[in-house]
Amino acid sequence: MSKNKNDKYSAKTTAAKTSGNKEGINIDFLSKANIFAGVSILLVLVSLVLIFSKGLNYGIDFAGGTEVQVLFDKSVSTDDVRSFTKNLGYDSASVQSFGEGNQEYLIRMESIQAATDKETNKLINALIAKITTGLKATFATSGPEIRRVDSVGPQVGDELKTNGLLAIFYSLVLILIYIGLRFDYKFAPAAVFCLFHDTIITLGIYALLQKEVNVQTLAAILTIIGYSLNDTIVTFDRIRENSGSILFRGWAFDDLVNRSLNDVLTRTILTSLTTLIAVAAMYFIAGGVIKDFAFTLAIGVIVGTYSSIYIASPLVILIDRWEASKAPAA
Amino acid sequence: MIESLRTRWIIIIAVIGLALFWVGPNFIDSWPMKNANKVNYGLDIQGGLHLVLGVDSNEVVIEKTARMIRGLSSEFKSDNIDFTDVKAQAGNREVVVVTSQTDKVKDFINRRYPATLQILSTSNGEVVARFADTEIQRYKEQIVEQSIEVIRNRIDEFGVSEPSITAQGDNRIVVQLPGIEDSARAKELINKTAKLNFRPVVQEFHPFAGQRSQELVGWITDAEKAGNYHLGLKATVANTESKGLQYSEYIKKLNADLASKLPRNTRVSFEKSQNAKTIEAGKTAYLLDVDNDLSGGALDDARVNYDEFRNPVVSFQFNLDGRRKFAEMTGGIAEKENGQGYMAIVLDEVVQSAPTVQNEINSDGAQITLGSKGPEAEEEAKLIATTLRAGALPAALTQLEERTVGPSLGADSIRKGKMAGLVGGILVLIFMLLYYKKLGVIANIALSLNILFILALLTSLGATLTLPGVAGIVLTIGMAVDANVIIFERIKEELRKGVGMKTAIKDGFDHAFSAIMDANITTVAVCIVLMYFGTGPIRGFAVTLICGVITSMFTSIFVSRAIIDLLIEKFGMKSIHTVKLASSARGN
Repeated sequence: MSKNKNDKYSAKTTAAKTSGNKEGINIDFLSKANIFAGVSILLVLVSLVLIFSKGLNYGIDFAGGTEVQVLFDKSVSTDDVRSFTKNLGYDSASVQSFGEGNQEYLIRMESIQAATDKETNKLINALIAKITTGLKATFATSGPEIRRVDSVGPQVGDELKTNGLLAIFYSLVLILIYIGLRFDYKFAPAAVFCLFHDTIITLGIYALLQKEVNVQTLAAILTIIGYSLNDTIVTFDRIRENSGSILFRGWAFDDLVNRSLNDVLTRTILTSLTTLIAVAAMYFIAGGVIKDFAFTLAIGVIVGTYSSIYIASPLVILIDRWEASKAPAA
Repeated sequence: MIESLRTRWIIIIAVIGLALFWVGPNFIDSWPMKNANKVNYGLDIQGGLHLVLGVDSNEVVIEKTARMIRGLSSEFKSDNIDFTDVKAQAGNREVVVVTSQTDKVKDFINRRYPATLQILSTSNGEVVARFADTEIQRYKEQIVEQSIEVIRNRIDEFGVSEPSITAQGDNRIVVQLPGIEDSARAKELINKTAKLNFRPVVQEFHPFAGQRSQELVGWITDAEKAGNYHLGLKATVANTESKGLQYSEYIKKLNADLASKLPRNTRVSFEKSQNAKTIEAGKTAYLLDVDNDLSGGALDDARVNYDEFRNPVVSFQFNLDGRRKFAEMTGGIAEKENGQGYMAIVLDEVVQSAPTVQNEINSDGAQITLGSKGPEAEEEAKLIATTLRAGALPAALTQLEERTVGPSLGADSIRKGKMAGLVGGILVLIFMLLYYKKLGVIANIALSLNILFILALLTSLGATLTLPGVAGIVLTIGMAVDANVIIFERIKEELRKGVGMKTAIKDGFDHAFSAIMDANITTVAVCIVLMYFGTGPIRGFAVTLICGVITSMFTSIFVSRAIIDLLIEKFGMKSIHTVKLASSARGN
């Protein structure tokens, strides 16, 4: 079906394109492909090393545990909150201040696992009660307000983690199938490789900064996968269209790809800019969940834009060459 | 594409009208349509308690197996099938019939319980059967449904507006209580088992009247010693190795250990000794007949009352069926023990009291005395009454996940989120205007309409807006201009080739379509995966993103095309962009 449509397009455009298409931006992206390939491979490797050496800082969504967010109406020192958790007997609790003026704290406790689920329940409930009533009593003069309590049992954490990985996996498979069907099969591996590239580098940055990885991070990564794919697809769409066009008959595939990249460059940059504007607004204005979301998206937009320009298309050429070298032998 | 400009504008105006109609109630309180949908805020925005509970249906399957075993024994007897024993095995999930007439037993089971029981093996004079998978599945679903019903009843007593209690899979329940601040109390109410039973006391082992009561105490001590455990979480001083268990665990383990010694169909339960402060400090053992019990389902009502010493008591009323059964049971006890029998009132496996039964009691109700005063006892009485009234949970629940959000945090988040959306939106509008000038105005109209349409679509779908959902909307604002950018760049490109403006616009839209379509389809694919695997807030994100993709296709392709065509055809617009036409395209 798509073939027919393409033929119709080229028939129509032939009439229109009387004077060739050399106008506009013309950057030779592919001559530098080796350098960028090197950079990307390095980044991916470094990210992998970081992910496996430093590890990801899983939030309670994945690791299980309890988190209490408290807001005081006046400034309270981190040490006071620390000694409070220590006095309650939770030495391993992490206390983290956020927002301005040392007024808001996040207290995080590791997952509890008793012999039976019922006991685990009781212990967790007792823990929550102890922390919340304790905060209200100890800091009575500082007007504590319990703003949020999250508690995730260990089973659920494991399940969320598995589901998260499955979600990423299925997204990639769906995309692979769709691109394979809609475009040429040589485009599909390039697109999916890019998505791996973007995901791994984003996770690498998370490992480097030891930022918390939670369910929102995962959703943001999946969004990046979708977004980065937009860019890649727009480029592929243009390559496909140009290869069918009579104007480019006789062009080497490399040149064709480079031309196509240039054709869509303005669009790629403009859309990335508007998206970044929206993401920046989220990062600087909205707090909490949305801020973390925006952080991941910002990394993803930048890495995704880069990869769709410098990685996806050269990969298509590489696959094309490999195919050509195999063809005579077959 | 519809060719008639008039038709296209009629569609657009109709859609805008519909969108305004849907969105209206969110902004105007006195909207003429009563009961119009408003955007629902998720718990992360409006504040409240979110609980994920696991339903332990294994326990219930075991209980069901035990009941089946009791049923089978009497059915074999009345069918004159010869059998030595009917017992449980494989963690009390399988039924073993020891018999010389394996074929008869097999026939009987296949005839009487064709869909319920599944025969696993017949050999060596034994028939092994267990509940069929479909039966267990159906039963599990039923238990989840019942639990939801019970929780709903209890929550209604608590007075929460618009609670949401739903099943997740076949063993989870998600409870969402908007606006709840006292999460501890709500959790207690939900988790309280409150299983009420009336059970005959086995006379022989009665702690005071039975001849073998010391024997029972001896068995219990031996079992504790052999298994190295005791009741209570504190370690006993004498034996620090011994593991302290909570009552429910303790009673389960003890009965399992004593199974070989105790008479068939009996169970040990304890009463708090009269002079002891807690049951851990002093307990009196009773052996109860579980074959003949009357459960909390026989109740009509339960209330808190006070006895003559002003102690709170929970008094309850039987329903018709309960009253009849209670009479039968007490009559049976009186007859069996010559008016000297006892009946235990058991709540959550703890014997509350064990009054003498001299003759058949045909009474409306009974009561549980708590035996202490003060606000704590009163609270306890209230909780018991409430849970009895609402019905007992059919299975134990475990709390897997809890999320409480205070109202101020949610309000804060949504305020900041709206602000971020507003600022982001305005910045994008300015950017488009600066870059595309006239075309920018068109893109901006499309973008503004897009935001209206997203909100309208979300409202009409009754979707829940969560914080990630807000992020989804803001992200859509940034991404939605993409389609317009693709189209505009394409039009500019066509213009550079030197074609006329009309052709350029037509070709621009036509050529851009496949790229826009492909890009959006993959975004939707990822969102569908997110909806499938994600939890509540993340689903909210996926829903808003999908809505955004759909509406942005409409606004950027359909609406902006209609605007451009209108400007050219009706207002005689000559150029749509500052690109110099034709002249510059002759560079080649």
